[in-house]
Amino acid sequence: MTRIIVTTSGKGGVGKTTVSANLGMALAKLGRQVALVDADFGLRNLDLLLGLENRIVYTAVEVLARECRLDQALVKDKRQPNLVLLPAAQNRSKDAVTPDQMKLLVNALAQKYQYILIDSPAGIEMGFKNAIAPAKEALIVTTPEISAVRDADRVVGLLEAQGVNKIHLIINRIRPAMVQANDMMSVQDVQELLAIPLIGVIPDDERVIVSTNRGEPLVLSDTPSIAALAFENIARRLEGQTVEFLELDSPNDNIFSRLRKLLWTKIV
Amino acid sequence: MNSDHLSLSPVTCHLSPVPYLQLRMNSDSTNSSNDFQQDSNSQLPGGKSISKQADVEENIAKTANIEADSTDDADSNSIIPNADLNSVLLYLQANPLSRNTEYNSDSSDVNNNELGLLEEKINHKTQVQLKTEEGRLLLILPTESQVPGSEISWSEIWQQTKQRLNGSDRLRIPNTIVHLVAQDRLLDSRQLQQLEETLNEVQLQLKSVATSRRQTAIAACTLGYSVEQIQLQISFTTDLQATPKALADALYLEMTVRSGGEIRHPGTVIILGDINPGGIVVADGDILVWGRLRGVAHAGATGNRECIIMALQMEPTQLRIADAVARAPEKSLRQFSPEVAHIISQGIRISKAADFSRNQLSKINQSL
Repeated sequence: MTRIIVTTSGKGGVGKTTVSANLGMALAKLGRQVALVDADFGLRNLDLLLGLENRIVYTAVEVLARECRLDQALVKDKRQPNLVLLPAAQNRSKDAVTPDQMKLLVNALAQKYQYILIDSPAGIEMGFKNAIAPAKEALIVTTPEISAVRDADRVVGLLEAQGVNKIHLIINRIRPAMVQANDMMSVQDVQELLAIPLIGVIPDDERVIVSTNRGEPLVLSDTPSIAALAFENIARRLEGQTVEFLELDSPNDNIFSRLRKLLWTKIV
Repeated sequence: MNSDHLSLSPVTCHLSPVPYLQLRMNSDSTNSSNDFQQDSNSQLPGGKSISKQADVEENIAKTANIEADSTDDADSNSIIPNADLNSVLLYLQANPLSRNTEYNSDSSDVNNNELGLLEEKINHKTQVQLKTEEGRLLLILPTESQVPGSEISWSEIWQQTKQRLNGSDRLRIPNTIVHLVAQDRLLDSRQLQQLEETLNEVQLQLKSVATSRRQTAIAACTLGYSVEQIQLQISFTTDLQATPKALADALYLEMTVRSGGEIRHPGTVIILGDINPGGIVVADGDILVWGRLRGVAHAGATGNRECIIMALQMEPTQLRIADAVARAPEKSLRQFSPEVAHIISQGIRISKAADFSRNQLSKINQSL
């Protein structure tokens, strides 16, 4: 049974595309056949994050216009053969495709791939409707900001109305030090508001920016990072494994709290 | 319509003569030779015309004839399926020879038969044209068969018109009279007024409307334009069978083609400005970029392999000439000089403009 998951948020800039790219890679690393679908027509970015921009010849629009076959439009990733990308057209608007067409595309992909991750555009207009139309599950990405959480809440409502009931929450770009100082909403605060099961917390990491600019998803990087580990954990949780949530307060802690924790673990 | 949905087995790659590397002839090898990928050198045949640096390691073949693409299903078999991006430049001749292609309908490839259910075509091959004919400036809209009429396509046409109009502003004489060739497109008075306002902004005056639609004619009349009724040409034999058309006049544009921008022209395109990443220019003739080419350029889109792409600064995302596609090198150069991309038997080659000569090109072509 193919799992069709949409990554969405309502608000822009919270990391939908980053999550899609890294999660797709992480799932592919776990040996799954993954198809990433960029539903952000006109403002596509997923290809950039994956470093596949210059390999695109055909896009979803050409497939729908029947100028090429679906498998011709799929861009294979050279680093991870289990992953393909169905790029969106850059020169079209969101109205270039309809929800029905998206369903057809995704259903055709579902015959071959085990996971289909749809990267939704920001907003709740046509592009969003297109992205969620074929989805069976949803990942809500939010940052611990009041605006992002509010938008996420609205989107959860829309998804439920659409019949997508399996919704999980990813909290992105959390800064443990700020949470501790009470300057940022905590994971619990966000969860309390949204009341949907949490599937991952990703810490704020500068390396995400570097990886975005280089077109190399973080989970492929040789140097381990907590953010990459968080993505891998989400992938494993999607697979049904129980994985402990990461302790996110290590790097920004002062030396005393680290020592204390170390001692605490020793004593226990 | 079914034949194009049969999945081709990757075996069809045998059609391509030999996998080739793409070359950049570059005389200042010292500063750039390390930048190039040479991971596929072993595949080079003989290497007589192969120079020091091979920078683009791969390719995807693609059908040449875009026009024929959507309608002539047999031809689309010449597309290499599942183009393997790890391979070196694959080069495919889009000749009828591909009809012998072996195909394997039960290969595990994604079957998109289902997509056939959707008859809705998104055709974006035809754009708004602005050209001078017999001293008259014509604004030609695509026909409804080319771009089906709807509110969405209208806003796209209008956007395109605006873009085109801004593209060569400097050379235009103020208060030039424009004749709108609306063809069979249904336009209401609001849309006509929108067009007029847009034209006025660039100091052009809409005077007459040529249309084959009654409603459009009436709308134009009420707004006070002179109306010319034209006969709608219904051709039962598709244009594909028609004799090859001569290329249109060169399109001269003074603009930056930004991300998402698309210029299509049935002739040569000259751009005084840049093509940014995400922008694409598709021309049936040559493409000349007096600026930086960082997006996608497709010259000879209808299959002319003699076409070339020139740019002052060549850093493309992708270059396509006729049926050949080349990807840019992973690492960019540090120094740029005007370069010319042309096709040789091995695929697309980029040469320094100073070294490039027609002479050289014809010699290469003869040895094909």
